[in-house]
Amino acid sequence: MTDSPRTFPVREDVERRLAKRYRAELRFRTAGLTAIGIAVAILCILIGSIASEGVPAFTAKELVLRVELDADRVDPEGDGSVASLRRGSYNRVLQDALREAFPGVTARNDLRTLFGLYTPLNATRLMDAVLDDPALVGNSYVFTMPLADDLDLYLKGRLVEDRTLPTAGRLTASTDGDIVSLRSTTADFTALAREIEQSMAAEARTLELRVEQVRLALDQVPAADAPRLQAEADRHAAAAVNLRQLARAPDGFLPLTGDVPSVIVESGGQAFRLTQLAVDGKSARGEVVLGSGLVENADDWTLYVVDTPESRRRVSDQLIIWTRSLVEREMIQTGFNTYLFANADSREPELAGIKGALYGSILTMIITMFLSVPIGVFTAVYLEEYAPKNRVTDFIEVNINNLAAVPSIVFGLLGLAVFINFFGLPRSAPLVGGLVLSLMTLPTVIIATRAALKAVPPSIRQAALGVGASKTQAVFHHVLPLAAPGILTGSIIGLAQALGETAPLLMIGMVAFIADAPSLGLAGFTEPATVMPVQIFLWSDGAERAFEARTAAAILILLALMIGFNAVAIYLRRRFERRW
Amino acid sequence: MAFGLGLDCMSIITIVALALLVMIAGGFYVGRSRAITAVEGATAGLHSLPNYHGYYVAIWTGVPAFFLLGLYAIFGGQLVDRLAVSELRAQAAEINRLLDDTLAADTDFIELNHAAENLRGRVDALNDEISALRNARGDNRDPDRLTRLRAEQIEALNLSTAAEDAVRARRQAVVAAVGADAVTDGASERALAGYELAQAPRERRQLFLSDSRRIASGELASRDSVALRAAAQAIAGYDRNVKIGAAVLALALGALGFGLTRARISSQFRARNNVERLVTAALLLSSVIAILTTVGIVLSLLFESLRFFASVPVLDFLFGLQWSPQIAIRADQVGQSGAFGAVPLFAGTAMITVIAMVVAVPIGLFSAIYLSEYAGPKFRQIAKPVLEILAGIPTVVYGFFALLAVGPAIRTLFTALGFESVVTQSALSAGLVMGVMIIPFISSLSDDVINAVPQSLRDGSFAMGATRSETITQIVMPAALPGIVGAILLAVSRAVGETMIVVMAAGQGANLTANPLESVTTITVQIVMLLTGDQEFDSPKTLSAFALGLVLFVLTLLMNVVALRVVQKYREKYD
Repeated sequence: MTDSPRTFPVREDVERRLAKRYRAELRFRTAGLTAIGIAVAILCILIGSIASEGVPAFTAKELVLRVELDADRVDPEGDGSVASLRRGSYNRVLQDALREAFPGVTARNDLRTLFGLYTPLNATRLMDAVLDDPALVGNSYVFTMPLADDLDLYLKGRLVEDRTLPTAGRLTASTDGDIVSLRSTTADFTALAREIEQSMAAEARTLELRVEQVRLALDQVPAADAPRLQAEADRHAAAAVNLRQLARAPDGFLPLTGDVPSVIVESGGQAFRLTQLAVDGKSARGEVVLGSGLVENADDWTLYVVDTPESRRRVSDQLIIWTRSLVEREMIQTGFNTYLFANADSREPELAGIKGALYGSILTMIITMFLSVPIGVFTAVYLEEYAPKNRVTDFIEVNINNLAAVPSIVFGLLGLAVFINFFGLPRSAPLVGGLVLSLMTLPTVIIATRAALKAVPPSIRQAALGVGASKTQAVFHHVLPLAAPGILTGSIIGLAQALGETAPLLMIGMVAFIADAPSLGLAGFTEPATVMPVQIFLWSDGAERAFEARTAAAILILLALMIGFNAVAIYLRRRFERRW
Repeated sequence: MAFGLGLDCMSIITIVALALLVMIAGGFYVGRSRAITAVEGATAGLHSLPNYHGYYVAIWTGVPAFFLLGLYAIFGGQLVDRLAVSELRAQAAEINRLLDDTLAADTDFIELNHAAENLRGRVDALNDEISALRNARGDNRDPDRLTRLRAEQIEALNLSTAAEDAVRARRQAVVAAVGADAVTDGASERALAGYELAQAPRERRQLFLSDSRRIASGELASRDSVALRAAAQAIAGYDRNVKIGAAVLALALGALGFGLTRARISSQFRARNNVERLVTAALLLSSVIAILTTVGIVLSLLFESLRFFASVPVLDFLFGLQWSPQIAIRADQVGQSGAFGAVPLFAGTAMITVIAMVVAVPIGLFSAIYLSEYAGPKFRQIAKPVLEILAGIPTVVYGFFALLAVGPAIRTLFTALGFESVVTQSALSAGLVMGVMIIPFISSLSDDVINAVPQSLRDGSFAMGATRSETITQIVMPAALPGIVGAILLAVSRAVGETMIVVMAAGQGANLTANPLESVTTITVQIVMLLTGDQEFDSPKTLSAFALGLVLFVLTLLMNVVALRVVQKYREKYD
């Protein structure tokens, strides 16, 4: 019974607790916001990483060659007939054009490397051009073809690390047999030599560390493995000693092996690949790749360094030099990658395109649309408007809900067992793919349609019935038109899902390599085909590095299609949505 | 030309289809005008509106005929094949009989056959003995003898395979000789084709048929021979006949439907009721398709699984620790049965699902809570669709993302942390990416559930002075718990059935491991592995995919049923 200030500690206590509770509140709230942030960030990373990989694939580096279509090359029979033109050696025509562009390349091995600038499949494209227009025979013709995939990536800066170093002095080069001696008036090579020396030392250190590790591990491995490990350690140790020895440059020159950055000297249309760098930084030795090998006091020269060592990349120094020369001579142009859209699948990434998969997807979607939408809408109308409440309809309802959650791959198994093995429909065909996907999409369409039908107020039905319409008339003349926007939206979303589905189509054999696009007609439904997502799956484990970019580009196209679909759905919903 | 023939026959069906369309339009018009003339233009006297009479005639003109054409489209090819093959066989009956006689008289063949049979008997006996020993208990167990028997069995199997090869070779020689004789005797080309077809092994038979089908339709075949061309001729003949038959029958059905229904039309005819009955029947039929799909799934999975379990015991499949179905390359190979213990697959599936849930449940749940309890309408309007984009991205894109970015990142990270030999394709990478895929699934389902908790509960809590977070953790969450559990269960079933992410990101090694940095395999991955590429349909290897499919189906079905139950129960509480 007092009004002493004893209440104050309680109040303080409460305030302290309140502060704590507010902190907890803030933490909780932040956790929620963070969760959304993480999800959005992942989405951005996903789209960003795929876009950064895929966008460069929409342009292609193309080689523009003036080819001479000599009659004796392309028309062996000399009668200009289709059969004769088909037997022409078009690859030789292309090879001749390249040899003309690089007259200095004569050795057999070098020529083989040179012809690696393009894939021989382009000869077929040249043949098609000639077959289209036989008047070309005997004339020269400007032929454009995609550069080999690795060089394409190189020019886009996605294959190697490279840089151009500034030079100050004047360059003089003289040949002595195969070896070129280069001399600059200032110490232009010094920085480079230091770098190479350091990288060699670093490499030696790594090797020595590895030797250490192996020696330590020697005690723990079973006796059977010991000799092998010992040999490995010895080999590494020897290599390290060798490297250290080379790095000391006993004869005043550092050797440039395939394991260190490549150095290329370019001067007025000539190019040298360096094999030795002098430690004084003023001179170097190398080999001529392009040109005569004679340079007098040139002040216009550059040092081009490819930091990725030659042994760790797929294009040789030679190809890089030739490609750079072609770029300089403006024989390589950058164009929109039409091959990606105009071609079907190919083993060569630069010629591989999505046309076949796109056609396959269109054919499959046509089947899916014409089956799943009517059947789905009919089912929903029956269940929502006609079905008596009894066990059978309950069973159907449960069934549909469960079907919606059945893994898509199980639908593929169904398609394989029923459509292909039982009905004997052709494998890999859009027809079967469409059937499987429509069964898969059916629950989505049904559920969306039922929701749309439920949203139509009962008063509409009652009014229709009240003026004497039959039940069917009430449903088909009044309820369905009002529910149509919702049905359309649901169907489009279901179809978009089907467009992105892969797993069930793998089961029915739509996963084969198919080099021809199916025809966009009735016959196309039973021809072997593949679809966009499956094409993405196929390319994603392509051996060539360039397929990665193609995969990402195909994904971007697929995503664009799906976003288009969904945008239409959203537009329809916004435009026709009606709230009762 | 053969090509022209293919085109001709194609156009027969097209023409019939077009004719039917015209007949349907005509049917509608005739039905309508006949109804009008029946009451001399006073349409009020009709029981049904004139259009319904038209619909009635049109439906009966078109539907049965198109149904027939549909049947033809599906089964026509098979029918033609059957007819052609049986004709070829009949033609070749004579040569076949000759061959049987020759074989019966060929002492070499009989002897070889006898030897092979003996060896097969020995293998069977050894098999029985081994399985008896394997199941033996107590004193009867004798591992040494088992090893010895196994060695003997392998030897016997090899001998028996060799013997059967010899029998086959001898038979081939006789077949060729008889065939050559038949050619000199002037047998017809079709007979020879039938002979080749009858004597070819099963897979060659398929090739023979598909080649002759290609020749018949003027396409490029993989090879070409006199026999093939004769078979192609037979096929083309039957193809034409069946096509014409189908066309005539379809037209007749159309005409019949038209005639019968046209006669029924009168002023009293209840056309609308008839049409509506048909419409209702069509609606019912559509909803039956959903059931048929389920039935089809269950039956096909069950049927193939039973065939699989005939060669591999159920318990071995469900509880075996070794999964290596790839051994079965040839039917007569040693160790043909492979190892079909699915536990490594279940374990891999479980691990990836758990990782996915560890990612998806907290992020999804907290997103849902923030969106439904804290966010203003504007933020919600933007954030919700963004989350839903995650749900709309095809799974193959997630798989590529795992390959491109997540796998390498994990490898770099864990190598830097001192782990050795981290692979790009690991359970962790697949699980993480799958978790991301499932976030919107959990967040939108939980969002619905949380929104369904009555506002009065929240208001009561606020009135007691609770903060928002206290209200959420102590009032809203407990009330929403059943729904959230249901949502998580649905998400788990989704993760278990997900295919592309794991196929691309989780690797293929059937490792029984608890280390998420190793590559594991899942049920779905194995189904894909087993069924892509060339396969013979009867081997246990192929059939095991269906057994795995059955397990997957049952598993996801159970989870869905439980989840729906839980959610429904919860709903009843507040309605």
